[in-house]
Amino acid sequence: MANVALQLSDVRKAFTGVQVLHGINLDLRAGEALGLVGENGAGKSTLMNIIGGVIAMDSGRMSLFGEPYDPRSPLSATELGIAFVHQELNLFANLTVAENLFIAGFPKTWFGAIDRRAMRRKASECIARFSLPVTPETKVESLSVGIRQMIEISRALMRNTRIMIFDEPTTSLSKREKEKLFKTINELKERGISIVYISHILEDVFRLCDRITVLRDGRIIATAPAADFSESQLIKSMVGREMTHLYPTVEKAIGSTVLLEASRISWQGIVKDVSLKIREGEIVGIYGLMGAGRTELAKVLFGVEQLDKGEVTMNGVKLARLSPEICIREQAAFITEDRFNEGLLSTKPVDDNLDLVKMADLQNRMGVVNVGERNRLNQQAIRDLQIKVSDSKRQLVNSLSGGNQQKVVFGKWVMKKPRILILDEPTRGVDVGAKFEIYTIILNLAKSGSAILIISSEIEELIGTCDRMLVMKHGVVTGDMPKSEFDREKILGLAL
Amino acid sequence: MRNPGENHERKVLWMLRDMPILPLLVGSFLLAIAFVPHFCTVYNLKNYLLQSADLLIISCGLTFVVLNGGIDFSVTSVLTLGSVLGAYIMALSPLAGSPALSIPVAILAMMAVGLLVGLVNGLSVTRLRMPSFVATLATQLIVLGLAVQFASLVSDTASIAGLPEAFFVLGGEGRYFFVPILIAFSVWLFSHWLLARTIFGKRVYAIGVNPKASFISGVPVKKTIVQLMIISGLFAGIASIVATARNQVGMPSLGDKMFLTTIASVIVGGTSTSGGFGGVGKTLLGVLFITLLNNAMNLLGVGWEVIMIVLGALIVVSAAGEYLLNHRQGRV
Repeated sequence: MANVALQLSDVRKAFTGVQVLHGINLDLRAGEALGLVGENGAGKSTLMNIIGGVIAMDSGRMSLFGEPYDPRSPLSATELGIAFVHQELNLFANLTVAENLFIAGFPKTWFGAIDRRAMRRKASECIARFSLPVTPETKVESLSVGIRQMIEISRALMRNTRIMIFDEPTTSLSKREKEKLFKTINELKERGISIVYISHILEDVFRLCDRITVLRDGRIIATAPAADFSESQLIKSMVGREMTHLYPTVEKAIGSTVLLEASRISWQGIVKDVSLKIREGEIVGIYGLMGAGRTELAKVLFGVEQLDKGEVTMNGVKLARLSPEICIREQAAFITEDRFNEGLLSTKPVDDNLDLVKMADLQNRMGVVNVGERNRLNQQAIRDLQIKVSDSKRQLVNSLSGGNQQKVVFGKWVMKKPRILILDEPTRGVDVGAKFEIYTIILNLAKSGSAILIISSEIEELIGTCDRMLVMKHGVVTGDMPKSEFDREKILGLAL
Repeated sequence: MRNPGENHERKVLWMLRDMPILPLLVGSFLLAIAFVPHFCTVYNLKNYLLQSADLLIISCGLTFVVLNGGIDFSVTSVLTLGSVLGAYIMALSPLAGSPALSIPVAILAMMAVGLLVGLVNGLSVTRLRMPSFVATLATQLIVLGLAVQFASLVSDTASIAGLPEAFFVLGGEGRYFFVPILIAFSVWLFSHWLLARTIFGKRVYAIGVNPKASFISGVPVKKTIVQLMIISGLFAGIASIVATARNQVGMPSLGDKMFLTTIASVIVGGTSTSGGFGGVGKTLLGVLFITLLNNAMNLLGVGWEVIMIVLGALIVVSAAGEYLLNHRQGRV
């Protein structure tokens, strides 16, 4: 038998009476990469939080290299050699790269001050090893998410790490950074470090992992060598039913009226001279690598950032000034890529999130909100979008799964019956089943005549949903093609 | 899935999380009745409510700011400047001879002080992008300085006396003791209505939780912040009317000891200092509790310094309690 790094037997966990993990048995072998897949809400995060010492299990046993293992805190897990690379990054944006690398233990001089020279030297070695485009003195806040993540991995590697857990590490990486990450992960394996790799991107899981474990509703459905699974089998065991289509088919027509028009927009040297037109019922995709200026374009279009040059016309009205308030008046909606920071009041109940945009229309002259009407509209949105929530008045948004959180964001905007939708990574952190439902929502909105702009870093998603695709590179539109000309190679070529 | 016992536990936890101050208030009240001499007399209970009145008004205003994730240090200075200015108008100015004119002018002036300081605070926060902590600390110092300076210019004594009798009605003089209580209750009810029923209130909470998401959702963030800063100032102006009438003099030391009790009322009441959670319902309980503490300790002959220590400890305990309860909730 191969050397077992981490063994879990009959691990159980319940939250206030709801059983989240039903007796998990799992072996992680030394130097292997184990893929952990499952829909949101399957219990992956809970399981990883138990391993990481964030929460305690109710019953069961864990052992780490044969020793009984029951971490009291994340710190003790770290000390025993378990490192996390999270979906949400844990770096201090206001500190430098070097300071972040050594935050857990700065090199000291003999009288206890921080040894800045040693720190810089070691940080430089680390940076060189990953060939990161930074200096030790760079402030983290100025770096892209992809680079931040590489720094976080380097930080984990500087400790005596034996097991590394990656939770959706590639969602914000560019293609090149992703390749670098995969190369790094393979090197880690060779050094005998065990990897747990959690991802919704099955293609990556297949490529990277030796074995795959499927978790569904708090139970392990299957654990087998990756070669024994086909992609469709894997999806089937994740969702518990056959998924024949990844993208819904909705019959719709593209009208002649242009609802959203941008001409020669520029912003801060990141968006350069971009023009686009979207007609009613049309879905236009924007593909681009990280840093291509996609998200910035969306923010400028919706007035979150003020454009430097160019004009935006919505619904036939040329807008002299752009702000979210003004765009909403023109029946536009904006679903941001950063659900947590820009989309939701995550510590508030579902109801308080759903009415946020619409409530301006529900007030009388005194500013009193029509609560009855609000509740009716909220319930209608929950029904229409099939948001899984038991008590929308009480249940907090952050207790929902990623897919349902995203549906709440959609609900907030859809209630307003938008004619123009700007969607930035609309399915990020959303599981397979919920993705299908979100595509359905988008396509139905287009069917009802809305103009839709989808920004995504998943080519497949854009090919599956869009009528036309723009490709962006370094802030410039490098390609514009109709559905009939969609071609993976060509799109990638234009983006690289 | 859930058994009834756990449901019950959740309910208790929910109530404790929502109103941890309620059992504390009831318990302390019973203890005070049982053990504090002269507490349960008509005279003292009346006094207790009167003491609560101006604190409630000023704390309601502060609650708006704290809910929004900010702080307003200037409220007690507004109280002081309002008091000095109002007393001057009623006792020393050319209008002093005709109370029928001087009282309304004084009342308007006191409210105007609050309104103006609130507006300055609001504009500093939104236009100059100052944190409310800094902006209102500056106005606190400036306004207090103005009050002391003004008082020393117009009067040789430490306080301005000789206010018209009719004005004392607003402070609850004699059989009119219900007047300030009624004013405070109206202010509280209005605040509650604003927060619970109007779009303004919903926006205050939304911005308190996540200003960025609120902005992208079309919430007029800056306008709302200016509005709530004005409310905070205005309520401090109203409190200054009631407090001046109750003390029957205008004095530059009026707000001195008030800030700690105001902030304590809001925080101990249960409004989260990080914004977005709480409300004036909680602040009412906080005000009643803090005033009870003050009142009972005064009757027991405990000094102000001891009361300060107790208040400080209470702030720590309630902040820690908020953290622990939220933490537990976060894991659920």
